[in-house]
Amino acid sequence: MPIYETLSDRLTVVLDIGAAYTKFGFSGEYAPRCIIRSEVRCKKTNQVRRIFDFKDEQDLYDLLVDFIHTLYFKYALFSPKDKPIVVVESLLSPTLFRETLAKVLFVHYEISMMLIVPSHLVSLSTLGAETALVLDVGYIEAVAIPVCFGLPVIHAWQALPLGAQAIHNNLRTLLSSENTGINQLPETVIEDIKVRCCFVTKQKRAEQFNLAKPDITFAPEVKYPIGGSDIITISGKVREKVYEILYDEDNDHLSLSTMILDAILKVDMHLRNQLAENILLIGGSVMAPGFKARLKDELHKQLKYERYKKLRIKTFKFHSPPCKENYAAWLGGGIYGATEVLGMKALTREKYFLENRLPDWPNMRDNRTL
Amino acid sequence: MSYIVSPDVVKYACTCGLLKPISCLYFCRYCCELRCGFCVCHEVDSHFCGKCCENLPSSEARLKKNRCGNCYICPCCQQELSTRIGSKGPSNPEDPKSTPKKMYYLSCLYCRWSSRDVGIPDQGAATGGWPERENVHANRLQEVIEGYKAFITAQRQQKEREKKKQRGKFISYTDRTGVTAAALRKRIGLPAEVPNTYYRNRPKPPEVAIAREEVEDFPEDLLTKALNLMEITTIDQRLLQPDLQPTTVDKLFPIHKQLSIKRSLRCRSCEHNVSKPEYNPNSVKFKIQLFAYYHIPEVRIVTVEPLRAGKTAELILKFTNPTQHQTVITFLPLDLTDKGGDGDREVVGETQSLNLPEKQPPSLGGQPSSLLSLSSRQPSITIKPRPIRQATNCSIAIPGSKVILPPRDDAAEYDDSGETHNIQDDTKLVVWRKSNKAFVKLAVTPDDGLELNTEIVAGFTMQHIYTNTIATTVENKEPDRHDHNVRVFLSLGNLVGSE
Amino acid sequence: MELREINYNKGDYVETASGNKVCRQTVLCGSQNIILQGKVIVQSEAIIRGDLANVRTGRYCIISKEAVIRPPYKKFSKGVAFFPLVMGDHVFVGEGSLVSAGVVGSYVYIGKNCVIGRRCILKDCCVIEDNTVLAPETVVPPFTRYGGSPGMNIGDLPECQADLMVDYTRSYYQHFQPTKII
Repeated sequence: MPIYETLSDRLTVVLDIGAAYTKFGFSGEYAPRCIIRSEVRCKKTNQVRRIFDFKDEQDLYDLLVDFIHTLYFKYALFSPKDKPIVVVESLLSPTLFRETLAKVLFVHYEISMMLIVPSHLVSLSTLGAETALVLDVGYIEAVAIPVCFGLPVIHAWQALPLGAQAIHNNLRTLLSSENTGINQLPETVIEDIKVRCCFVTKQKRAEQFNLAKPDITFAPEVKYPIGGSDIITISGKVREKVYEILYDEDNDHLSLSTMILDAILKVDMHLRNQLAENILLIGGSVMAPGFKARLKDELHKQLKYERYKKLRIKTFKFHSPPCKENYAAWLGGGIYGATEVLGMKALTREKYFLENRLPDWPNMRDNRTL
Repeated sequence: MSYIVSPDVVKYACTCGLLKPISCLYFCRYCCELRCGFCVCHEVDSHFCGKCCENLPSSEARLKKNRCGNCYICPCCQQELSTRIGSKGPSNPEDPKSTPKKMYYLSCLYCRWSSRDVGIPDQGAATGGWPERENVHANRLQEVIEGYKAFITAQRQQKEREKKKQRGKFISYTDRTGVTAAALRKRIGLPAEVPNTYYRNRPKPPEVAIAREEVEDFPEDLLTKALNLMEITTIDQRLLQPDLQPTTVDKLFPIHKQLSIKRSLRCRSCEHNVSKPEYNPNSVKFKIQLFAYYHIPEVRIVTVEPLRAGKTAELILKFTNPTQHQTVITFLPLDLTDKGGDGDREVVGETQSLNLPEKQPPSLGGQPSSLLSLSSRQPSITIKPRPIRQATNCSIAIPGSKVILPPRDDAAEYDDSGETHNIQDDTKLVVWRKSNKAFVKLAVTPDDGLELNTEIVAGFTMQHIYTNTIATTVENKEPDRHDHNVRVFLSLGNLVGSE
Repeated sequence: MELREINYNKGDYVETASGNKVCRQTVLCGSQNIILQGKVIVQSEAIIRGDLANVRTGRYCIISKEAVIRPPYKKFSKGVAFFPLVMGDHVFVGEGSLVSAGVVGSYVYIGKNCVIGRRCILKDCCVIEDNTVLAPETVVPPFTRYGGSPGMNIGDLPECQADLMVDYTRSYYQHFQPTKII
């Protein structure tokens, strides 16, 4: 019996609920046990619903109860009762969501303690580094936060709605101009087209797109079968252009590359070069072929503009984490969960029930420690 | 039938406020309350593999990462893989007597993927022995994890030491003379460094990864080569193997099948099991089965006349008594504020909701000795029942008379002789009865002014006499009989027209 | 919902002493190899291939219209061999489904237009939803609901599934009555 207990003690669940995919596994392991869509099948209507499409708090509570039930009883295969959990979340996670998640875990599943770790900070632990600029390109948004000496510099954060969702919408519009019936396609098909056919093109080619007579030949087109009967054509232009919305500057002249530079700009002068030479890209969207090469080119292009000349940055260096980027934050949580931090910093059930709320950084009550 | 494929038309309100069909409800006979999958505590009873149907002890399941050692699923379509025999030529071609050696490979009978497609050599044994793949970053990650672990442990120890130091406030002479320890040490020719155990044992933090300027080059052949969709994996296939996430199909490897579980359910307020399955994965029997289907009279809709707004229609319901005891059904109007149990217990349940777990739920008072072994368990937190959201738009004329339902008799099925019951029925209410079933006629009136095709929902409270066979006290040998109220909601179909 | 009366033309069906009701418009090949344990209903245009191997059903099985019960085969280096098909009690096979399983347990519900691939094993208490295609040699564990093509586990069943199936097949049998001539 003691052997089992030590085994079970060691198993701490690490959970990273993303807007599109949830990473779930155990601390101290090198990869999550599963990466599944953050959605549940509604029992009443038999339709699949995304967790982030919740209507109100009650609805979110029910969705999370169902979702965590599948995680524990289909993948973890033990009861969450009286067990600790590590939750990886973005610093910009909505209060409603994190409070409801805590309520589900503490009240419905009766977990013993919960350690909440910020995704940008913990993903650095996969590198063993303390200072880096972390850019997380997720489903809904891209968030850049510099981390200096183990502390996220929150006032320098940058966020733009440039994520997989924006890419999917763009792909849908681009495809509709060439094919019919695209709007009826479910998002999973759009996602599949993106993942299998599309890529981030080179900067030189992208500049040609906007010219009247592009001087390039587009990549070969792809015939994509739909449902076994239809075939849609994905032209080379669409394949290359889809990701351009990440790099095209919007009305405020903002794009992925300016986010990184603006974040660096807001940090103390002495740290700027260090941050530029330690860039970590995480999130599923950065795994697109050609993404990093293009981002680097874009960064260098932006440096020539007046806005960023004063940065005096010459080189950008990128980290390659020892994992796939889409679960880098989860892995960081797993590394933290394997240490004794869990016992020292975690929020216990007793503490939670004293106030029925989670400590959070924007709340002055939790920032009074000094 | 209705419970298996069709939508649920009759729903019961669980104590927690959710509406469920009777097949999904449980009846805790210690609390005399309905429970559902939402308001009971789920526990894992045993692990088993769904393909080979073998039980695994939980420790072994953990070791194997909740996967079966022998069964594999297809990395393309997630169907189970079968082991095929592909006989290779005789082991020694020169020797005509040598028998052909049996070689095994894995093959998917649905999408025709096989382990030969990705170049996995055939195996000599039918089970197991398939090559496993290691995470390529395993060494580095191990180093990082160990580094962090040691670092945090050291940090904690240092904190403790500091606390100790503060406690024992000894007077240091160096403080008064102004001669620091380091200066003293220097004078006597020792290195200035304090040979503090902390500094000496200070763990090396994991080696910091080096960022590089060069990034993955743009894959140039994407621009020129035609894309073959068949060679590129879908996102689902990639995420099936989180650590590798192969992008091309030639790197797909068979995946161990995920284990399944049998689970037992425990009432959260009294900690008694309401369901506990047998250990054998093939068995469909239960050691403890407190399903509502076995304890609460079942209501079914037999026929309903076409519904018109404001017009009374005839509704025939079928009541079945599943218990071994006679019961009496009384109809009461639906009251959404009423909690539908015996009153006082409900109130207690409400006041203690969301309390700290230290506070013992009052229903634990009369717990039998068998539960004492469970005292190490933290008692569950009771969740406040939520209000029922279902609105009704149809009134039911509540009949004054009661319906007596005789006990269930399994032998009655083989008895074709005439009915022997001698129950004086209200003939206006009870249309027909046979053994433990009764058909009851009710009058329903959809509300005035409803639109065409509105779904009509009616509700009533069914009070039935529940005979509790567990003796609560030793003296009390008589089975405990008391009333139990259940709120029942009926979806009667859509409005077909108005007057 | 309570089942409605299901009426049939008395002349179309043969009722045996053990209570089996078999339609005359069925194809029962190799009937000496087919064992119906009693109170089994085989509806019109159903096909049971007893000529390939033994077929054995339990009590209270319902084989709907145009369903095909076909014993599974296995290929060997020397040829093909057919294996018997065993079905438990209280099994429902929906209209137009092809069942080529090796074993069908008790209390199993198979929907309409399903294909149960050869040598599948359906354990007790499982539900195959309408239009499911189960790959050959799939094992369906107890208390699971399978659906889709290829068939996957899409949910759980209530614990009292066995009693629900008993109740369903029994009342189906009771409601399956010849049309009364007035």
